[in-house]
Amino acid sequence: MIYLNMFITFFKIGLFSFGGGYAILAMIKQEVVLNNPWVTEAEFMQIVAISQMTPGPIAINTATFIGYTKGGIPGSVLCTFGVILPSLILMLLITISYIKLSKTPWFKAIFKRLRLLSLGLIAAALIMVLGHAVQSLFALLVFIACFVSSWKFKVNPFYMLIASAIVGILFGDISISTMNWSEISHALLGIFSHAS
Amino acid sequence: MLWQIFITFFKIGAFTLGGGYAMLPLIKKEVCSKRGWISEDDFVNGIAAAQSSPGPIAVNISIYTGYHVAGFGGMFMAVLGAILPSLITIILIAMLFQQYAEQVYVKRAFSALRPAVVALIATPLIEMAKKSGLKTQNAWFPLLAAILVGYLNITPIYLIVITIVFAIWESYK
Repeated sequence: MIYLNMFITFFKIGLFSFGGGYAILAMIKQEVVLNNPWVTEAEFMQIVAISQMTPGPIAINTATFIGYTKGGIPGSVLCTFGVILPSLILMLLITISYIKLSKTPWFKAIFKRLRLLSLGLIAAALIMVLGHAVQSLFALLVFIACFVSSWKFKVNPFYMLIASAIVGILFGDISISTMNWSEISHALLGIFSHAS
Repeated sequence: MLWQIFITFFKIGAFTLGGGYAMLPLIKKEVCSKRGWISEDDFVNGIAAAQSSPGPIAVNISIYTGYHVAGFGGMFMAVLGAILPSLITIILIAMLFQQYAEQVYVKRAFSALRPAVVALIATPLIEMAKKSGLKTQNAWFPLLAAILVGYLNITPIYLIVITIVFAIWESYK
């Protein structure tokens, strides 16, 4: 029964979260900490911190982790599948209509406007992470170096991330990174749960 | 072909830290420039669509690209590729009980990786601005959206619905 409940809960999360990434976290917290007593608030913050540090979409990472905590490997697979199933259905419909309708004037008009909105939404995501991720001179220097190398010199992001990790291991500022993983998550989640 | 789609998205899923937005430039590089599976114009529209649909952005854009390239099979391979690295990594970490996150060198690495990830989100914004038809007359719109969502924490769904309704009204006017 818990499996079915977990699946339905994460399906709901996938269905009602717009804007990706951090916006989904607020929704997950509401469901797994408040509506269902699956993890404590402290555990949730820890899970979010690890999800940010692990490759892949943050929402998927968090869903997998909570699923594993509550129901082992079947739980993690179910939660992940639950959170992506609404996407599979809706995004497939959108893609098919895009291919069918991309020549019609009203459909073109929608995308012409949505593309501009999309720019704004990415800029919004940037505003949200910038303040939290760039809190020291070291972080600022890394940010500028990466920004210039990927924008002006088109450095491959894979190599850029690997180089950053090496620079971090050699010169990294631990006092900053240990400072407040949970505070950062707290702040972000506070903002988002307030918004939704 | 299906296998190539799977491998491409698996690689992207395995190597991108920082979530969906940081994955976008890598997906674009792989599927537009490197493999030529989809035109840049279609990809930029895909990002707009991925943001307008609920769910994780990276999953949405994988569905869009996968289906565009090879129909249903492509869609499933792209999604599977994009989420499988997460699934494996997280299950391993959950099993090992999160100890690796406390190691000093991991923390040091992340003190540089976090700002690097922000740069990964910032760069495509400039390129996208060119492709999205941004001009001085219409720049107020994305700016307003960025302020409303980024600073005032308005849920994007309202903006998406208003934008779609306005665009349809405009095209029939």
